[in-house]
Amino acid sequence: MTQQAADVLVAHELRKTFNKVEAVRGISITVAPGERVGLLGPNGAGKTTTLLMLLGAILPDTGSVTIVGHRLPRRRSTAMESVGFAAGYLPLPDRLKVREALGVFAGWYGVRNEKQAVSEALERFEITHLADRLCSALSSGQRTLVGIVKATLHNPKLLVLDEPTASLDPDVALRVRTGLLQFCASTGAALLITSHDMREVEMLTERVIFLANGQVVANDTPAAIAATFGYDDLEGVFMQLADEARRA
Amino acid sequence: MSWHRIRVVMRRHAYVLWRAPHRWFDIGFWPLMDIILWGSLGTYVARNSTSATSGTPYLIAGIMMFHILFQSQIAVGTGFLEETWSRNLLNVLTTPVTEFEYLAGTAAFGLFKVLFALATLSITAFGFFRFELSSIGWSILPIALILTIVGWSAGIANIGIVLRFGQGAEILIWGSNFILMAFSGVFNPVDALPGALQPVARILPSTHAFNALRAVLHGNPLPGNEIALGVIGAFVMLLAGFAFTAWMLHVFRRRGFVTRFS
Repeated sequence: MTQQAADVLVAHELRKTFNKVEAVRGISITVAPGERVGLLGPNGAGKTTTLLMLLGAILPDTGSVTIVGHRLPRRRSTAMESVGFAAGYLPLPDRLKVREALGVFAGWYGVRNEKQAVSEALERFEITHLADRLCSALSSGQRTLVGIVKATLHNPKLLVLDEPTASLDPDVALRVRTGLLQFCASTGAALLITSHDMREVEMLTERVIFLANGQVVANDTPAAIAATFGYDDLEGVFMQLADEARRA
Repeated sequence: MSWHRIRVVMRRHAYVLWRAPHRWFDIGFWPLMDIILWGSLGTYVARNSTSATSGTPYLIAGIMMFHILFQSQIAVGTGFLEETWSRNLLNVLTTPVTEFEYLAGTAAFGLFKVLFALATLSITAFGFFRFELSSIGWSILPIALILTIVGWSAGIANIGIVLRFGQGAEILIWGSNFILMAFSGVFNPVDALPGALQPVARILPSTHAFNALRAVLHGNPLPGNEIALGVIGAFVMLLAGFAFTAWMLHVFRRRGFVTRFS
């Protein structure tokens, strides 16, 4: 088996231009099975566009995305069976109770015993008390938690999270991080996460990919990247890159 | 294709219908109002007419059969819009559900809405105007088939337009029904339309379905040529609707329009 086939995610030389503005300029990303990777960068660095291309929601102008050996967009449906996605900014279906919404997503992900999968996933993140609440009645933090539960329902091989703890209280955010680490450890899922919380990234990830102006500017362990840029932690690196991006 | 995922799409929309009382207006209240309006109009015209033939059955049967097209169309169109209204589109796009499975699920759930609306129409038409849907006989089946497929086709094409032009274009979900109603000869033969518009009307498969309906109500056998033209045209329209929306979805993904809905 080749290295490319073994990786859960292989994105090669992705490029995307919107209205003559190059949002993504030749980004390549690989994520190995069970690996936890952070995708960081200041606003406008191209993180969300890259994530949406990795998920098949946006087509790259050039380049390729392969998930668990399935090339997008042709094999998108099969690839998505192995991917769980949640974003802090995404709501859940109105008019459905949490248990119903999660059951629907479990069904779409191909989970056969939907009720059991939903119950287990709710217990994993300690929110069984939300099961019979309407999604529209949840607070933003609760909605984020349910979104993360949704992403883990089918034990995906790759968990993609976009700013998952942005709207959570510190204690709930810690619970989510702990839950995610336990989930990845117990299922062997790989994690690709974006966040503006550098402490969270240092806690959750083994490797960090820094983006700036649509390009990868660093790709290493958090400690190695901090050392390369001459800082003690990722916070300083982020501030420097954000400052450079503003001036560019 | 996964039948399981299609069933789950149907379940998702059943939850919405159950929890949204205003959605019952589409399948309960508007059909009731339509029967009262068109039945009363037919009755009034019949009273003031010297013609031996009453127009009431034509008007009532026309509006009843048009509701098959209408309900099929808005079930597909609003099914998709539900995902945009609740900003759930990105969640759906990142699941294994394919475009075809999603549309098939909404279209199949739409059949339930059609049956419910037809039940409302039938009971009201009989209760108020003594019109029996069974007077059309088994001919209703091929006519209903054509109108259902035309409704699905229009709904699918409208989704393509919303994907391309954003939520502002959702007015078409309802507006296209009025275009189809005007051009399909729901209550009148095509030759009653202005001459310049008649060629447009004759292209529509729904026009042939309503021609067949009038022939049956007039006591003639079901006209096979009208049904054949209607069925062929409906399937061509369905394929064209799919092709158009697939193209629009490609544009949607290429130009990154998903961010409009999330």
